[in-house]
Amino acid sequence: MKTPSCLRLGGALAVTALALLFGGCQNVNTYENAESRANPTYVADKRVVTDNTLAGTVRVVSINQATVSGNLLKIQATVENLKSSVRTVNYKFEWVDVDGMAVNSPNEVWKSLTLQGRETTTISTVAITPKAADFRLKFRE
Amino acid sequence: MKLTAPSKFASVLAVGSLLMLTGCESPTETRTVDAKGPDVINTAAINTQDWANASDQLLASLLSSEALNNAPRTPAILAVDRIINNTQLMVDTDLLIKKIRVGLTQTGKIAVTNTLGLGERAVVASEAAELEEMQSGKKAKTLVPDFTLYAKLIQQTDRNSKLTQNTYSFQMSLVQVKTGLTVWEDEKQITKQTKAKPAIGW
Repeated sequence: MKTPSCLRLGGALAVTALALLFGGCQNVNTYENAESRANPTYVADKRVVTDNTLAGTVRVVSINQATVSGNLLKIQATVENLKSSVRTVNYKFEWVDVDGMAVNSPNEVWKSLTLQGRETTTISTVAITPKAADFRLKFRE
Repeated sequence: MKLTAPSKFASVLAVGSLLMLTGCESPTETRTVDAKGPDVINTAAINTQDWANASDQLLASLLSSEALNNAPRTPAILAVDRIINNTQLMVDTDLLIKKIRVGLTQTGKIAVTNTLGLGERAVVASEAAELEEMQSGKKAKTLVPDFTLYAKLIQQTDRNSKLTQNTYSFQMSLVQVKTGLTVWEDEKQITKQTKAKPAIGW
């Protein structure tokens, strides 16, 4: 029995559409040791979301901190791309001293971050002054 | 009054010319943007955001390495060595080094000496030290640096039929003067791809 030509055409179109849909994805597979030996100091964070689209694209999984060079605060955030395609966002760390005043350090710059589909990675910064007590992490598209 | 064909043509030409000329008189528009932000113009060269980004990453790497913890004094004395620019760009390397110097000085762990090294800062500082010697009659005691900082910028260009790719490498090393050993070094890279322009464009 012959397949009608309209069905054949429809099938071909469906296959092409699926190939285009999934061919554009570049997801990342990750493997790590099952029982982590790291003992990070996690920071309880407060989140202010004004861009729901952005929040739906990149998620901050966790934030941890450490002290380096004796008295300088180091912050590391683990971020995840919630989408199945490559996404680029910009982020910036800002520092605040114990009096709540902004520490205008020269390393407060917007940085570009490209994440593959479903990729999780870390971003970090080091305060260049011991006066820095708190931090702010900002994201924008 | 009826217009003849030549006069119609002249009218159309006049109106067209007027429109074309007035179109050229669009006023220039300038806006101030964040020099460290994503709104700066992105080019195949190193832009302000790239300089800030590279210096931040190198600074964070140096401070995370704990290399400065073994300094014999606080603040440790740092002399800035040569900064070699092996890129095709005519750039002032202070765009990188100044940010590193500012960051290191703000930590309180480093003081940068100007009586050694090259450049206008070193010349003025040396002359000032000589003047001090002449006026006081005492030999000025120049502090021997504990560390020297050396940096190099490298550009690698790769091309295919569609893209030109420029990779800029920012290499930096911190050498302990007493031992001559490199106690920290790192390399940060920024890669930029530019689409080739079509041979004939309209």
